[in-house]
Amino acid sequence: MVSDNSHNPAEEVRIGFFICHCGVNIASKIDVAEVAKFAETLPGVVVSRDYKYMCSDAGQDLIVEDIKNFRLNRIVVAACSPFLHEKTFRTATQRGGINPFLCHMVNIREHGSWVAEDRVTATEKAKAMAQGGVGRVRRHVALEKRREPVLQSVLVVGGGIAGIQAALTLANAGKHVYLVEREPTIGGHMAQFDKTFPTLDCAACILTPKMSEVGSHPNITLWAYSEVIHSEGYVGNYKVKVRRKARYINEDECTGCMECVEHCSFKTGVVDDEFNVGLVKRKPVYMSFPQAVPKIVVIDPLTCAKLSGGKCEESCIPACDRQALDFTQTERVEEIEVGAIIVATGFKTFDAKRKPYYGYGDFPNVYTSLEIERMVTSSGPTEGEVVCRDGRVPKSVGIVHCVGSRDHQTNRWCSRVCCMASLKLAYLLKEHTGAEIYNFYIDMRTPGKGYEEFYERLLEEGNHFIRGRVAEVTDFAMRPEEENHLIIQVEDTLSGYVRRVPVDMVVLAVGIEPQADASVVRRLFNISCSDEGFFLERHPKLAPVSTATEGVYLAGCCQGPRDIPDTVAQAGAAAAEALALLDPGFVEMEPMTAYVENELCSGCKTCQTMCPYGAISNDAERKIAVINPMLCKGCGTCVASCPSGAIHQNLFDDQELFDEIQEVLAHA
Amino acid sequence: MATLEREIRFESDRDPEFAAQIRRMPGCENLNRCIQCATCSGICPLSTYMDMTPRRVIQLARDGFKADVLNCNTIWLCASCYQCQVECPKEIGITDVMYALKCKAIEAGIKPKQAAPQTLYREFYNLGTKNGRISEGALMVNTVIKTQPARFWSLKMLGLRLLRTGRFGWKIERMPQQSVLKAAIQATPPINGKESS
Repeated sequence: MVSDNSHNPAEEVRIGFFICHCGVNIASKIDVAEVAKFAETLPGVVVSRDYKYMCSDAGQDLIVEDIKNFRLNRIVVAACSPFLHEKTFRTATQRGGINPFLCHMVNIREHGSWVAEDRVTATEKAKAMAQGGVGRVRRHVALEKRREPVLQSVLVVGGGIAGIQAALTLANAGKHVYLVEREPTIGGHMAQFDKTFPTLDCAACILTPKMSEVGSHPNITLWAYSEVIHSEGYVGNYKVKVRRKARYINEDECTGCMECVEHCSFKTGVVDDEFNVGLVKRKPVYMSFPQAVPKIVVIDPLTCAKLSGGKCEESCIPACDRQALDFTQTERVEEIEVGAIIVATGFKTFDAKRKPYYGYGDFPNVYTSLEIERMVTSSGPTEGEVVCRDGRVPKSVGIVHCVGSRDHQTNRWCSRVCCMASLKLAYLLKEHTGAEIYNFYIDMRTPGKGYEEFYERLLEEGNHFIRGRVAEVTDFAMRPEEENHLIIQVEDTLSGYVRRVPVDMVVLAVGIEPQADASVVRRLFNISCSDEGFFLERHPKLAPVSTATEGVYLAGCCQGPRDIPDTVAQAGAAAAEALALLDPGFVEMEPMTAYVENELCSGCKTCQTMCPYGAISNDAERKIAVINPMLCKGCGTCVASCPSGAIHQNLFDDQELFDEIQEVLAHA
Repeated sequence: MATLEREIRFESDRDPEFAAQIRRMPGCENLNRCIQCATCSGICPLSTYMDMTPRRVIQLARDGFKADVLNCNTIWLCASCYQCQVECPKEIGITDVMYALKCKAIEAGIKPKQAAPQTLYREFYNLGTKNGRISEGALMVNTVIKTQPARFWSLKMLGLRLLRTGRFGWKIERMPQQSVLKAAIQATPPINGKESS
């Protein structure tokens, strides 16, 4: 092949070719020595070697030494996928003293030995690929990584335990945190729980100190009752708009004394109390719970007689001695700039009405686990007293596991926490009422520190465990002892009998599912969802808190069902990732971005609509496309779509690709 | 023609106190710990002959299905080899539970379908309390005469072989100090408030 090295014609191209055995991964299917010998004959190749493990220190040193000894200025490594070791070999190339982007990887493992059946053809294919790599590397030019400053603040979306933990970790490390929560208070689902498994710590006792720390931390700007409505920018430099909904309360004046709630024209609650999952009613002016952070009341405009335009005594206004009520308040939009974003938007519980044969909504004494959670709390609507809707204390309770989970008709996944949460509720219900507790389970899943021991404790305390998915909950009595009871029909697969178990109260352990607006949030931050709708991590094992979008991290149940210990650990990990991004003060961007050749661009905007990252804008004055290299991920879509051939991409230049193809075909 | 049998179990089929009663018997304290792993059924050399595997007996006993467990042949086929008890990951005294259930069955006047086991246990108990030692010859002869007298002569060859290999002896073994034995038996508290035999 005739060399026309455009970037520096004066320089003689001196290529080093290195082929890896990868133990037997490659060598068992490809005759690496033969490929190495073949590569030596290719034009420009000065040295060609094979080695057992190129990625080992010794293998890398081989490259470093050869660059020095043979004055190499191009490197081709035939080994595994660049996804695994491109960085390794680029670093080695750099250590040898030449620009790292003068190194090219040929994937003869995933694309070769692992998929080949025949040794001879696999070796031939490897030769062709090697020739292609050698053909294209001569066109490689030295590229520099771009550095951009990183803003030293972080946005945390969601104020549940995940968001709280992430925010506190970052704030304690000296970074400024904006914590945005949709509800009037932070705390999330954990604030609704009574005890936490398996240690039975009081949830409020361990959560509320963290909540107040968030409220008073000098590095945290807490915006509750607010929502992120817009986000743009790129890693290290995000611009975010937050809508702060009107509380109709002057936040600086309100002390949370609740006098206005006392004096509301409505003497009793008028609308379902969201915090107590509808077990009681609340007034239009309310505070979710006494330890709410921020400790500020909120007025619900839909039910407030004054705000909804009805007749009202307005007795709340004089009740407030600080004149904190402000019915003229409107929502406002705050604009902030942050370096990183942690998405911790949590989950919602499965709607038990979707399983009609469990009778939720039909039979008053069928409850969801979250309702029972509120009922057993001493600060809950019944002050910890467990009573059926008719006021009776239940003598027997059936807990139905896997409601909505492990079910192709609803949610296919295991919600992971319900077994342990059900065991905890079984314990608490027995403690509060002395009732006989029946657990109906498909499999008992108790993977965690102290979890199996907790299960054993429940077993030893004489709780009943019936293995079988409940078929139906009915009030149709077949026997005298079943009269005035809810009867749970199930096959106990362990005793081998179909059983009918009459109980006073049924608890449905509802599963965890993505928030209803997860797809909106997903688009907001340009992240992906997995099939079931939970946000998708970059790698399920090795990057579980990162997303495909640089600088956006995940924490908690928005990424998948998990319990509190795992959530806190993940939130810490997300905070650490954000810190690692912020702390150096700059980000290095890969140079394989697209760029526009201004003279050729006709300003047709085709590329603009194609770019999945919103990296291309239009320069109205010059009527040309402008690519923001910070946003460009190097996907190549614009390059392919440009009708004028005006867009090029570093490392994937047309000529580089054509040369590679030509050389591969030349071998074939 | 085989009749169709009801397999459903209502709450009235349960004795809610049964599990607690069993758990009060010696060796049965850990009954409720069972996670139904079925190691016991897998390792039991006789489980393939049983109408209910040991695992299922534990489950039913724990759930209070008294009639079902007391009428199964499992508790009588148990040869007390203790393999299940040795292997049980939750350290449940499974063989002890089997004994407890046998006691309960005898107490309830339930006769096993095969008469031999119950008689064998009674003869074993009688010999033990009378002499303080078990004499295999006497035990087997007494059991066979009381349960299958017609087969006594057909079993004689087996008996002779056992004699020749030293498995049997003619001698009635006795504890030297009978007074100590009597005192020991008198001092033993009855199980579950009753004599077990």
